[in-house]
Amino acid sequence: MTMEFLNLKVPMALGGAHGKAPAGSTEGAGNRGRRIEQIALAVALIAIVAALPSLNIGYRFLSIAITTGYTAIALYGLGLQFGQAGIMSVGHAAMLGVGAYTAAMLSNHLGVGFWAALPASIVFAAIAGGLVGLPSLRVSGQHYIIITFCCCALLVICLTNGGKLTGAATGLDVGSIPRVFGINFDKLFNYYYLVLAALVITLGLVYAIVNSSYGRTLRSIRENEQLARAIGINVDLHKIGVFMASGAFAGLAGILQVYYLRHISPTLYGAFPSLYLALMVMLGGGRLIYGPLIGAIIVNFLPEVMDLNPVDSRIAYGVALLVVILLLPGGVSSGLLAIYRWICGRLFGRVSKAGS
Amino acid sequence: MRFGITLGLPLVAALLSGIATQTALAEDGEIKVGVVAAESGSFVSAGNTIAAAAKLATQQINDAGGIKVAGKTYKFKLFIRDDRTNVDTAIAAARELVNDVGVSAVWGTESHDFSVSMAKITGSAKVLQFTGNSSLGGVLSDESVAKDGWLHYTFQTEPQEWQRSTSTAKGVLSLVGPKLKTPPKHSVVFVGNDATGQYLSENYVTALKAEGQTVDLVKYPPDTTDFSPLLTRVKGLNPDVVHFWYNGDSTLIAFPQALKLGVAPAYFLFGVDPGIYKERGLKADQPVTMSCVPMCWGSAPFQAVKDYFEKYFALGAAKGPQSSVSLLYYDYFFMYAKALEQVGKLDDPDAVVAALEKMQYQGVVSAVPLSFNDHHQVTFATEVCLAEPGSSDKFKCAVEAPPATAPKAN
Repeated sequence: MTMEFLNLKVPMALGGAHGKAPAGSTEGAGNRGRRIEQIALAVALIAIVAALPSLNIGYRFLSIAITTGYTAIALYGLGLQFGQAGIMSVGHAAMLGVGAYTAAMLSNHLGVGFWAALPASIVFAAIAGGLVGLPSLRVSGQHYIIITFCCCALLVICLTNGGKLTGAATGLDVGSIPRVFGINFDKLFNYYYLVLAALVITLGLVYAIVNSSYGRTLRSIRENEQLARAIGINVDLHKIGVFMASGAFAGLAGILQVYYLRHISPTLYGAFPSLYLALMVMLGGGRLIYGPLIGAIIVNFLPEVMDLNPVDSRIAYGVALLVVILLLPGGVSSGLLAIYRWICGRLFGRVSKAGS
Repeated sequence: MRFGITLGLPLVAALLSGIATQTALAEDGEIKVGVVAAESGSFVSAGNTIAAAAKLATQQINDAGGIKVAGKTYKFKLFIRDDRTNVDTAIAAARELVNDVGVSAVWGTESHDFSVSMAKITGSAKVLQFTGNSSLGGVLSDESVAKDGWLHYTFQTEPQEWQRSTSTAKGVLSLVGPKLKTPPKHSVVFVGNDATGQYLSENYVTALKAEGQTVDLVKYPPDTTDFSPLLTRVKGLNPDVVHFWYNGDSTLIAFPQALKLGVAPAYFLFGVDPGIYKERGLKADQPVTMSCVPMCWGSAPFQAVKDYFEKYFALGAAKGPQSSVSLLYYDYFFMYAKALEQVGKLDDPDAVVAALEKMQYQGVVSAVPLSFNDHHQVTFATEVCLAEPGSSDKFKCAVEAPPATAPKAN
């Protein structure tokens, strides 16, 4: 049963051990080894990313890294929804918009600053996520995807015609983040670390969700919804739950975005940004823990590294998506993982045994 | 001996010229200035003009010997960054120019959202920003441009929107009126529903009402390509004149569709240059008026404007519907240079702002000297042209002076 949910070794490899092996067994030792490997990899990655600003990488790079960071946070929400529960959305930017506009409206109309608005953004986006998820109880597949697209378009129409409340098409401005312990978040380096901290917390939470019984339940729904119902799982409740969790991460990303740009308008949350988010998750891979992050890095840095204009970028993304669909159904992250496993296998000759 | 002279003289000459070059290099300092504009993406039509104007202006200033500040000569070093019509890239580019490159002034961008987000970066770094975005007028206030305000270092290089709207409305109605059987009474403003469109149309509707028009406003979603459903609705309103605002690129798609549907007895195309009307061979049986932002390259009203566009296109800039937008950026390089010379130092942006606030500068864009008001906005006239019915290349143009006071709708 567990293997059916897991649907192969790739999720097991980085997504964590889903079934507990008896202590002292070879499988248990393998799981422990993988766990140590995961923690070591995570610590190494965080250390590298945290050290980036000290490497004199320039403000441009840092700016794009911040954009990548909050985009990845939003993608982790979508990754849970798509990768774990198997429900795709092409309206995820709307959730980001709810989080961002909650913060901006609280700031403009009630004078509420970043820290007080933070939980509100997360909660409102979670509620919005739950509401957008309601139709998924009646429809699925491409029909639900169209509904998410419509929800996104509807939000943009509401924001564009929202008068002074939403700032209409012109949008809203926000001020700086109030200092905490004397840290000035107007400085780009500090903002980078704020986004990084949020990303690490997000990663931790997602890891915990994926490896919890709730995560396993989501995967059971993804693999066979009828069977999950038959064995007594409250599928509707769990679906709404994952939509809310997905919305919450998007809300966090939204407030980080608005306080980074210091100005937002409805165009940021339209159909096109939503499609890009879906593209990033599919490119990176929604099932593996680093998939969304890799997707965000590819889409945000590719035009920079290769100096691509928007038209060339779209062609590149299209080609990349085709390649991923045909050759790497688990996303670029699964390809990287396979390479990593192969290298480790060649170097140490142990991973192949554990993997098998 | 002869060999020595033959070899020695050129060597001495080369050494001397090297020393002279080194002296010139040592004397010439550089002032880094930047441009953030869409050189690709959906705003490329407007964005390219900013970069082209910047190249022309800095080249002219440098070729004329540069700027003298406190007895030393400086030349502009221009850094152009493509924002790819993406706000994240625009922000990254602004950060790069301000923090990595260390520019003292930035020109751009063409979009409201981008300009506002950029102003938060340039303002806190005390870097001057010149932006032609008219909707910036919505946030330029006594508080925001005050010494500690977030737009203190930002200057809007377009006139206040009510000024442009009023002069445009007057110009359009005065040119169209005599061509119709009865004076126009009912106008429909057809506008893209985005930040700039909402801001501009609000002012233009007020200006038309002040001219005695009954006005209906019909908005279309940005990036619309099939306008026929909305244009059919516009036709049902029985307008005397349909005013296409504001995006010249969208207008050039919508206008032929309107002609096919026979939407109105007269049209106004905002941001469409007579030059592009002629190049595309557009023709209508109805009177068609058009206005440029701010002066038309296809029908330059002053010799200075004509000379400018000759040099501008000679530099390789494309002839597009929004080429005239370049004029919203060109003069301000010279104003900035003059302000630096007046201040006499490069490291005092507050003094440069103060000098710009007081400056009167005779530029290309205006027949009268340019000056910034208390909200860092300039004032100049608008050119409106009428294409004779059935003609692609016969235009009658008028330069409408801006009003002194804001219009009040009747």
